[in-house]
Amino acid sequence: MESNTADKDIIRYIAGSAEAYFAPDGKRLPVISLKTAASIANSQGISTKEVEITALKQGIVPRRYLRNIGTIGLVGQIKLLQSTVAVVGAGGLGGTVIELLARQGVGHLIIIDNDCFTERDLNRQIMSTERNLGEYKVTVAAKRAGEINSATTVTTFRERLTKENAQKLLGSAQVVADGLDNLPSRLAVEQACRQLAIPYVYASIAGFGGQLMTIFPEDTGLSSVYGSSNTIPGQGIETKIGNPTATPAIIAALQVQEVVKIITGVGKPARNQILLVDARECIIDKIELGR
Amino acid sequence: MALVTVRFYSLWRSYLDTDSTTLQADHIDDALTQLEEKFGSRLREKLEAAGIHLDGKIQDYSLILLNGIALRNLKSTALKEGDVLHIFPPAIGG
Repeated sequence: MESNTADKDIIRYIAGSAEAYFAPDGKRLPVISLKTAASIANSQGISTKEVEITALKQGIVPRRYLRNIGTIGLVGQIKLLQSTVAVVGAGGLGGTVIELLARQGVGHLIIIDNDCFTERDLNRQIMSTERNLGEYKVTVAAKRAGEINSATTVTTFRERLTKENAQKLLGSAQVVADGLDNLPSRLAVEQACRQLAIPYVYASIAGFGGQLMTIFPEDTGLSSVYGSSNTIPGQGIETKIGNPTATPAIIAALQVQEVVKIITGVGKPARNQILLVDARECIIDKIELGR
Repeated sequence: MALVTVRFYSLWRSYLDTDSTTLQADHIDDALTQLEEKFGSRLREKLEAAGIHLDGKIQDYSLILLNGIALRNLKSTALKEGDVLHIFPPAIGG
């Protein structure tokens, strides 16, 4: 009873603080500002995320998500705020994935990495700066996510994901995004995701190109491309041609779209196919994978 | 003999300056031998010119799928009319 009264109070505060926003098509939409959401959260002793979810359920859009709503809808934004996404690796791919998921309004991020930033990372790892060299990537990434979106809570694990700890680290995630740089770790993630019955958005990069595949527990997954775990190649072509600046951003952006599609149910994830992105020739190929 | 299409992707397509070819073969080993004869040295020369040294044959440093299945996972290595081989470099970085 008390809880219902409190909920009603929160709804009343939100509705009373809503402002009108006129979309470019002339449609009127009630919105609340970042400042208002924070103020209600503070006065009611709840999180900004709870305020935003409550507002969205009333058809009131936190202004920060206005440009999301046309594509994913109010329900899609609520689902994202209620979701937990794990990002394994906070380097080239993972750093941009974290940045974008926080901006998208994912409610909870699990970030797993045991490395610190070095000068070699500065060309492509979006979280790295000259000032934070030597700092742990998870620490920097968590701070950045919090600065981007106070509704996004972050859990960090400053350790290397292994076959042994993968299920424990990924256990509360709904989706896992790949920010790794080696196949054995990817196979450990894939196996854990199968056991946890959650989807895994695989990606990897080399030079001006990259690969992406969304793997649901029942899909064939990495073995359809790499064969069995004892025949996987040790290294990729990236050891020869490197990872230039824009490539991780391109592939990570596609990964984030996959995560958003999975959580919101909007669109069709790239399942049972491998996307080969070739920015050198401006071509994206899709190969349908056999089972 | 089965008519098989071979498709090259990403860097291999750029360096070979073609996206596909066809060949006649009944067995995967025969197809790979023909591929190596036709494209192996050209690909390695182009890679070498770009400062990339790779040893071995195309299948040693490429990912190859037959009709979307990794060669390592094939139950049968016999080829049939209309089969498609997909060939591309492994990208493992992140």
